[in-house]
Amino acid sequence: MAWELASFSADLLPDDIGVEGAEVEIVRPGEPVRVTHVLDAVEPRIRPDGRAAFPTEGKAGEGRTHRLDRVVVLSCLDFPAEERPLHEQESIVDLAGPGAAYAPFAEETCVVVTFRPDERGNEQLEAFARMKTLHTAQSLALATLDAEPSDVETFDLPPVKGKPRIAALIQLSDLGPLYYQFVYGQPAGQAGLPRAIDPAELLDGAVTSGEYHWAAMRNPTIFFQRNALVRSLYREHGARLDFAGLVLMRGYEQSADDKQRAAEAAAMRAQELGADGVIITTDAGGNSHTDVMLTCRACEQAGIRATVVLAEETDPESTRPILTDWVPEADSIVSTGNVEELVEEWTPERVLGGDTLLDGTPAAAAGPIPVRNYLGAANQMGQLSLGARSE
Amino acid sequence: MKAVHYVNQFFAGLGGEDKAETPPTRLDGAVGPGRGLVAEGVEIVATLACGDDYFAENEEDALAALFGHLDEIAPDVLIAGPAFGSGRYGYACGTLAAAAADRGIPAVAAMHPENPGVDTAGKAYVIPTAVNVAGMRDALPRLARLAAALAEGRELAGPDEEGYLPRGFRRNYFAGRTGAERAIDLLLGKLGGETRTEVGGGLDRVDPPAAVPELSATLVALVTEAGCVPQGNPDRLPSVRAQGWLRYDLNGEQTLAPARYKSVHGGFDVTLANEDPNRLVPLDTARELEREGRIGRLHEAFYTTTGNGTPVVTATRFGREIAGELREAGVGAVLLSGT
Repeated sequence: MAWELASFSADLLPDDIGVEGAEVEIVRPGEPVRVTHVLDAVEPRIRPDGRAAFPTEGKAGEGRTHRLDRVVVLSCLDFPAEERPLHEQESIVDLAGPGAAYAPFAEETCVVVTFRPDERGNEQLEAFARMKTLHTAQSLALATLDAEPSDVETFDLPPVKGKPRIAALIQLSDLGPLYYQFVYGQPAGQAGLPRAIDPAELLDGAVTSGEYHWAAMRNPTIFFQRNALVRSLYREHGARLDFAGLVLMRGYEQSADDKQRAAEAAAMRAQELGADGVIITTDAGGNSHTDVMLTCRACEQAGIRATVVLAEETDPESTRPILTDWVPEADSIVSTGNVEELVEEWTPERVLGGDTLLDGTPAAAAGPIPVRNYLGAANQMGQLSLGARSE
Repeated sequence: MKAVHYVNQFFAGLGGEDKAETPPTRLDGAVGPGRGLVAEGVEIVATLACGDDYFAENEEDALAALFGHLDEIAPDVLIAGPAFGSGRYGYACGTLAAAAADRGIPAVAAMHPENPGVDTAGKAYVIPTAVNVAGMRDALPRLARLAAALAEGRELAGPDEEGYLPRGFRRNYFAGRTGAERAIDLLLGKLGGETRTEVGGGLDRVDPPAAVPELSATLVALVTEAGCVPQGNPDRLPSVRAQGWLRYDLNGEQTLAPARYKSVHGGFDVTLANEDPNRLVPLDTARELEREGRIGRLHEAFYTTTGNGTPVVTATRFGREIAGELREAGVGAVLLSGT
């Protein structure tokens, strides 16, 4: 069944936005603003049939969904607890200056929602902020229900003959609290992964982010909603390839046995989709890169050709090996950038989200900041155009 | 533009193999292939020449003499070669260019891509040439072009655009197309029999050391990258990207009690590990082995860091520093627990 995505003008965004427990600021394109402590980025979406835009039950990717074009909700939270066991990483969105090139948000209207820390522990506070953010993103699109769309896209996959069948294997983190990607509201580790889903489900809010690892290597919710890989595969369907479907798999399996089992299971799902080739994407770094490499090997051993998408974490002044893990089968890799490189400094006129970076430096005069602190900058689903090459 | 050109005895016109022992010499203006560079617009103020054998056998002295001249001239760029397929000449060009680049003198060498000198060039640039001197005419304009760019301090594009061999430094660029589009191209290419990659593989393989000859008489230390620290993390070991390592005295402790130790590692779910920190640093088992006499003695401190998000070059430094201290302390074997 085809899914329709209707786009509506950003002019429909309400002027007065209130969110419980948070300050809200609207930033227009081009304003010299830096946003810090960013948890997630979400595109405002609503469904005219009354079903949830970020469903926890039923099936996404059917019927029609409305979106506000060129609007993004940025949720921010400076975790209050002294102990930050899994939240040591600063996450920045620059809406002007050199850092703006590393994220697609500078040309959009940003609704910056800064949650106020309170007595609750990190996990409760995060859950509250995450639910409120998704709910806000939905309510911001309310005005589209009585408006005319500027554009309607239809997503379906009619049968194709004689083209290579290509599937996408998308890795989702589950490394414990504050490191979860959610599938229909369930942490990835409890969502029955690996599992094949309709690619339209991914674009329609089935997967949301609650993962606060290195900012540059995160998959914020908006990168699922606007997923460049899935969209490109739809676009190429019938032209250069036959889009076989999508497999969600878990990153950060916690033991060697589980990693191997999960890798083989993901390859099996790809085989069931009849894939000749797969594109395997990565979420976060280190440990999860091993999951990706094992999945690549398992696919190749099952006779399915694989291309891997990942970011590099390497000292720009060193020529030492650059990957955390690697298997010889991984002979086709897209690099989404070296997160250790520094981004030139600039002076924002306004800082939202919090005035002090996690390392204690003032956010308005932080000096050069490494790529790894820019939200989604080296996204390992291939969302953006950053790459790294040998020079 | 003020360029200095380095050539060997042969290209300086001093003689062939019989003059390979010639020590560094400074000549005015351009000599030999340098005249070809001048024709391409390079202003060569001096030529430095050295015999290939002399350089190979007296590298330190040769470099000292050559830098004596270079420091005096203070050129905008150093050009070395082309050395084509000549291994000794290529080595001298690469080594000198690398040393110049390290001292802040922009440097470019030219040689055949398989010349062993390529590997010595470090941060200097290398223009690929044919294997023999027949490639001179083709090489000089390309060498001159990059030399001019370096002398002007122009920001260089990638190796393909500028025509130099990749040095191995991984630098970011905006590809103009999303990673997703590039991935589809790579995969369709691979399915069509043409496999390409944007990142080369390969890892630092560490050969397992030889067995410890007499463990029962050996001082053994516990080292971990599992982020194991005393409760409260008094020295604030980061959960990722540690910039150093820590040493904690064991004070005769027999076990790592969960009330006293924990992991701050941000790369795995530490819940289970924190229920029993001995699974991060196996002190309980090591003490048992010590009592049974299977290891000589346990070192009085354990070493810890967070091996998460650490560039290889940084991790290598940690290893060297820790190993240095342990060697000083007479430690003969290490039990290294990773996560």
